[in-house]
Amino acid sequence: MKVILRTILKTPPALIGLFVLSLMVFCALLAPWLSPYDPREAFEPMQPPSPRHILGTNDLGYDLWAEWLQGARFSLTLGASAAALSSAIGLLIGSIAGYQERAGFVLMRLVDVFLAVPRFPLIVFMAAFVKPGFWTLLTFFTLFGWPPVARIIYAHMRAEKNREYILAAIAVGANESRIVFRHLLPSAFPLALVRLVSEMQHVIMAESGLSFLGLGDPTMRSWGMTLSHAFRYPALLLTRVWQWWALPAGVAITLVCLALVLIGLALEPLANPRLRDG
Amino acid sequence: MKAQRSRATLSVKVLQYAFTMWVILTLNFALPRLIPGNPLAELDNPQGLPIPLSEEQRMRLMAYYGLDKPLWRQYIDYLAGFIRADWGWSISYNAPVLVILIRRLRWTIPLVGTSFILYVALGVALGNFSAWHRRRFSDGLLLTLMSVTGAFPTFFLAMLLIVLFGVKLKLLPLGGAQSPLALSKPWLTRNLDLIRHAILPTTTLILANIGEIYYLTRNAMIQTLGEMYISVARAKGLGERRVRLRHALPNALLPIITLITLRFGFLVMGAVMVETTFAYPGIGSVIVEANTSRDYPLLQGAFALIMLSVMGANLLADLLYGLLDPRIRRNV
Repeated sequence: MKVILRTILKTPPALIGLFVLSLMVFCALLAPWLSPYDPREAFEPMQPPSPRHILGTNDLGYDLWAEWLQGARFSLTLGASAAALSSAIGLLIGSIAGYQERAGFVLMRLVDVFLAVPRFPLIVFMAAFVKPGFWTLLTFFTLFGWPPVARIIYAHMRAEKNREYILAAIAVGANESRIVFRHLLPSAFPLALVRLVSEMQHVIMAESGLSFLGLGDPTMRSWGMTLSHAFRYPALLLTRVWQWWALPAGVAITLVCLALVLIGLALEPLANPRLRDG
Repeated sequence: MKAQRSRATLSVKVLQYAFTMWVILTLNFALPRLIPGNPLAELDNPQGLPIPLSEEQRMRLMAYYGLDKPLWRQYIDYLAGFIRADWGWSISYNAPVLVILIRRLRWTIPLVGTSFILYVALGVALGNFSAWHRRRFSDGLLLTLMSVTGAFPTFFLAMLLIVLFGVKLKLLPLGGAQSPLALSKPWLTRNLDLIRHAILPTTTLILANIGEIYYLTRNAMIQTLGEMYISVARAKGLGERRVRLRHALPNALLPIITLITLRFGFLVMGAVMVETTFAYPGIGSVIVEANTSRDYPLLQGAFALIMLSVMGANLLADLLYGLLDPRIRRNV
């Protein structure tokens, strides 16, 4: 963990990313204090930004700043939890598969089937029928998020388990679970973490896309949903309204993704030593 | 890992894809039946559909789903119908699903095809450039630019391009695939009009997809240039150009083929977003339309077609990989 923090602190772009991300998390956490309004409190519709409503109101009269804050909560929570779950499951299954030959064969065939399916079109299709809310989306993204992690961890484990320190651990009589959980798993952490960062970016982007296409639960309060509502008016881009209705949500998604990309770029050499300087 | 996967023989590969396609078709069959009620329940709901169904449409739909028959019979009929190119009857268009989809493909294939060729070519070229100028200013600039474009959600990028080039500069049309009455214009005007409408969607797709290809090419090239055989080639006194293009590039390109495969699903999703935002009448916008109008047969058909093409492209890339990698060539 220390290496990871140090890497981020040493790389200026990653530091900026971390700062932007923290700012968003801060907004999400303090949402009730940052906006005086309930996101479902109706005011006069279609107001431009004013001191009373920083981002104005939408066609139903909801305060857009309050909605934006709810969007931050939704997108960040979904992204972080889906990515964390995927990485954890992938890490666990990948390490078991990498250590145990026979279980590994079966698990990796399962991974093959999952990896052969183009996951985003599939999620879109499932969403069209289910109209998923938070928990369903979390399930979808986790269901298709763990296999790539498992494959990477599996490859890593296969190489790692023949290293000398593992042989030494076996020689001093450490049992299997100790070797897997105390020695092998920690060695795969940086790999899983790099995946976690890029997975979080993908989930946030995919969720906003789904919602934008109108495939999510319409009562969901995500950034993508705000954009989707705004885009029901075809003339949106011709007036100035898009600047406070659609732009803040779009910019927010972009900033979060960019922050994650920057952090991911800095962490990548940890997972791929050949990219290191020198 | 990749070499190991590709070592599988051709028939195993094809079987694997056939199996996955079967899983997808089964899902496609099952999903509409898993939602509460039956697929027609939503249509019977007077609030669910703007226009009530005529009795003839209802009968057609009943026949398509075969809801009076047992489930296993419906399943067999569905699979057989899929193979016989009988993909059902679209409710909202009142026409065979496959006919509508093929009509829409005429717009999607040129759009996605052009973007695909351009972003792969550009991405590989820029990635190479970056790797050769590693840690110089131009490399850093490109890397930053590519990371930034990759962070934009496709539809947001599309929106910004529309505002900039369509609304503010008034250079390009806001959406659609052709101007009204374009068909009555002379050949040249008509085609220029088509191109003008395609510029923004193509640009969006390129920008949305180029980052990953660029980044992978750059990394693969940097790694390859660090290999022993490159030092050997240099030691032999070969020119730097020859070392890079003849010795390093072909090897660096191999992982990119795999990436293109993995990214194909993303490209298709990008196409759905772009077509929706630009109101481009391709296969991607069918999904959203069918979803809004609850036209399940059309939705299922579009999904099956998209999956079929993605899997086909994946299979092709797998075969190509086998042909290009001398280490596994003999096994294919």
